[in-house]
Amino acid sequence: MIRLLFITIFSINLISSDEDHHMHQNSHNHYVYVQGEKLEVDQDRFKSFLDGLSNSQVAVVNVNGMVCDFCARGIEKTFVKDKAVKRIDVDLERGKVLIAYTKEKEIDFDEIKSKILANGQNAIDFSILNI
Amino acid sequence: MGIYIKIFFIFLLVSNTEARPISYSGGHTLMHFNDNMKESIYYHYSPSFKYSIGVEELNNKIFDRSETNLRFTYLVNRKNTKNSQRNFYFQSAVSTKNSNFIYGVHGDWETRRYFIGFDYKEIKNIIDYTDKHIQLGFAPYLGAYGDLHTWLMLKTKKNSLSKKQITYPVVKFFKGNVLLELGYDKKTDWDIHLMYRF
Repeated sequence: MIRLLFITIFSINLISSDEDHHMHQNSHNHYVYVQGEKLEVDQDRFKSFLDGLSNSQVAVVNVNGMVCDFCARGIEKTFVKDKAVKRIDVDLERGKVLIAYTKEKEIDFDEIKSKILANGQNAIDFSILNI
Repeated sequence: MGIYIKIFFIFLLVSNTEARPISYSGGHTLMHFNDNMKESIYYHYSPSFKYSIGVEELNNKIFDRSETNLRFTYLVNRKNTKNSQRNFYFQSAVSTKNSNFIYGVHGDWETRRYFIGFDYKEIKNIIDYTDKHIQLGFAPYLGAYGDLHTWLMLKTKKNSLSKKQITYPVVKFFKGNVLLELGYDKKTDWDIHLMYRF
């Protein structure tokens, strides 16, 4: 019992350390306007994602901890509740989430981070592509 | 002897319903576990990705007895990297019908290709005992988002009552919001674990 208590208390301290670490990482947000080739996404998947989209902006978000399809499901469910989100896709191989927003949406990285953190993963940085 | 068997199978049941013990914030999870000797339904809700609360209804087919447990799981620590995730959970359960309770820890580390997990519990029942297991997994192929995903796993477990170590293969499939896990051992027969998230 004492061993369990010790391990638990010790680990609780580790949570804040990890979150602080991610906060530093997340301070390096950047907005990059490119045509898609430099986004390090699966080009076929990306083209399929863009198919039929117009007058939109796409956020390509780098996410840490997205190692399993079953675990990433909540990301899609959270973002589709936003009426400004037209489409969302997850690239597990490259650890990226693609979110197509309406042109009018003012994309806020803190909002994206918060939604992804609610699913238990960490958004590290993102780029925006205008369509 | 009957009490030992009952506790042993409750132990098996609990250890098999702990895959993905917490969902995303606001997520609901429904699990069903069944084999030729026992059956359970476990529902949990996650107000946050850090903890879940749930209720579990057990039915022991051998003794035709039922039990209801209230369960609480807390994510003590999680480390996300680009290619991996590591988790450490505190887990507990209390019976609504008597003073029995369970507490313990559960940890796992996984990439898209490999998985390793462990579980340790102390069970306060008619007879107090501990149990533990280790599970190793390997994904034979890496599916994309939305594909059918498959894991081949090996599970080994031991408890202080039986003092016997059991090692058996487990295969896990998931697609979308549904997960199916099948395990087989000559002594315990089939384990069937079905999970749905919504």
